[in-house]
Amino acid sequence: MSQPLPSANASTSLQVRHVRKSFVSGQVRSTVLHDLTLDIRAGELTLISGPSGCGKSTLLAILSGLQRADDGQVIALGQDLGVLGARALERFRLRHTGFVFQGFNLFPALNALEQVELPLSYLGLAPAEARRRAMASLEEVGLGPRTSLRPSELSGGEKQRVAIARALAKQPDLLFADEPTSALDAANGQTIIDILHRIARTHGTTVLCVSHDPRLVGHADRVLAMEDGRILSDRVPPSPSTPATGFEETP
Amino acid sequence: MVALARKTLVYEWRRFLPAILAVCFAGLLQLLQAALVLGIFGSASVYITGSSADLWAGYPGTQSVNLGRSIDAGVEMRLRMDPAVAAVEPFHWVDADWRGPNDTGGVSVFVSGINTRPDGMLFAQALPPALRARLNEPDAVIVDRADLDSLGVGIGDSAVINGHRVRVVGVSSGLRALGGVNVVASLATAATLDTDPSNANRMTYFVARLHDPGQARRVAVRLRGDRAFGNYDVWTAKSFARRSRLYWIFDTGAGAGVLFLAGIVFLVGAAITSQTLMAAVIGSVREYATLNALGVGVGALRRVVMEQAFWVGLLGLVGSAVLGAVAMAFARSRNVPVALGPWTTLACLSLCMGLAIVSGLAAMRSLHRADPATLLR
Ligand SMILES: Nc1ncnc2c1ncn2[C@@H]1O[C@H](COP(=O)(O)OP(=O)(O)O)[C@@H](O)[C@H]1O
Ligand SMILES: [Mg+2]
Repeated sequence: MSQPLPSANASTSLQVRHVRKSFVSGQVRSTVLHDLTLDIRAGELTLISGPSGCGKSTLLAILSGLQRADDGQVIALGQDLGVLGARALERFRLRHTGFVFQGFNLFPALNALEQVELPLSYLGLAPAEARRRAMASLEEVGLGPRTSLRPSELSGGEKQRVAIARALAKQPDLLFADEPTSALDAANGQTIIDILHRIARTHGTTVLCVSHDPRLVGHADRVLAMEDGRILSDRVPPSPSTPATGFEETP
Repeated sequence: MVALARKTLVYEWRRFLPAILAVCFAGLLQLLQAALVLGIFGSASVYITGSSADLWAGYPGTQSVNLGRSIDAGVEMRLRMDPAVAAVEPFHWVDADWRGPNDTGGVSVFVSGINTRPDGMLFAQALPPALRARLNEPDAVIVDRADLDSLGVGIGDSAVINGHRVRVVGVSSGLRALGGVNVVASLATAATLDTDPSNANRMTYFVARLHDPGQARRVAVRLRGDRAFGNYDVWTAKSFARRSRLYWIFDTGAGAGVLFLAGIVFLVGAAITSQTLMAAVIGSVREYATLNALGVGVGALRRVVMEQAFWVGLLGLVGSAVLGAVAMAFARSRNVPVALGPWTTLACLSLCMGLAIVSGLAAMRSLHRADPATLLR
């Protein structure tokens, strides 16, 4: 399949050019990404959907600078990630990227506010500013009244919202989410994807979400269907949703 | 700054408890064995520490106070001539054989012949003036109350030392020695008990009191240079006591034993502590990896682990200090000889902190597993 080379415009924040990745396990070399080229725009929720094992997470890892491509180029925010060393990549991530994972990965000992404040303190923010931003992020994901609760006192959906607030409080330009709804029921999953959508709209953030869950398709601005390490289609979903503004607690 | 290390330690205290206990018991063991060894071997220098003399003059190279050889009696004059010296008195040491009235067999005893005047320096603490004065009776001796059984006598009983009849005129405490039984007598009595003819006109030690005890070290250096009265050397009471103790500690192998056990305790403690800290790191490895994905450097994560190790060390250390104090009080109440100086305590407790730090360094290596790429599946 041949893809037309997308022309980079002003709102393009991630450019992927001829990226390849393969893994060697034992004697077998399996190619996970075949010559991928695509552009991802800021201010949109881009969903990469496809069956398990098709290489979505690997692509996300390469786009976010957590893994290196074997071949090709990734330009994030105008910066070629391939030329950055490990330290510089870490700094790039600290300044520009947020992550949401399938597991919530919250420290059991910290309450919601502290979870969000923790990475901010490493950004060199003054404590008062870190607290202000953390509160604002938690309010944005609808957890304003639950900031003093620990993970053991929160539901799965709430935990994922804390994780989103933790990523959001950094005010990242790029927000990556890997299967953010897989551990949640349908209603909670919908709340999460709507929050991600709204973040893209209101902050102009590039939100790249990867999921095998077909129910999310209707909530994205753009859907890339992936299979066997290739992008099969690139489309705007038929019924573009407007993200919900309120948060109805789901049982 | 969110105190991640401390909050985790408090919230997951059960997880860290084994490490804290390991540090605590390692510290307690170190403290107790040091206290016991120092307590037991401290009695080797009871002659020195129990007297009020500032300087000791004896045979050159004497390793321990019980190994003294006689020196020329003229040394007394040399000491008196020094303007810094306020008083001098002789100390006659006799290794002797004791036979009690009930035929308990021979007991090896150390006879200490001392000045019986009320201001006498030797055994100034153990023998109050009234008791000391009783030694002026001919052939009178005083022993430690705790030694009465092994000597087979009571107060007022007679016994035989080196074939000479003596009488126990009193008992005291604080006279117990190492390696034999202490018997205190007057200089005159001790002279009659000394059967070695080569000791005539000679004395085992001369001890001196200074006008200013703070000058002891300087005066000792000044006095030891003189060879006019034959071979002798002068030490401060403190250094001679120390030398006697160290001689016993290392000559008996106790010192090597202590060091060996300290090493074992350190290794076992570090093994438990590092395993516990490692388990704690691995238990939070996904959270650490998430922080790393968000750009928090590995150095900062290492600091979190080291801070945890530090708190574990500190808590363990406080625990061993408290338990150690209780154990020492108990030992003292049971007359178990224990002694612990501030430096030894500090050394034992630093060893604990060192154990925690080493364990933290070992646990830090588990952070390799906090690779954010593993979170993407
Ligand atoms: N570190 C790795 N070593 C070997 N194989 C890997 C590694 N990471 C992923 N893979 C393989 O790459 C393929 C794609 O994985 P992944 O990107 O996680 O898929 P997805 O997220 O779409 O389910 C899978 O077959 C997986 O086994
Ligand atoms: Mg995946």
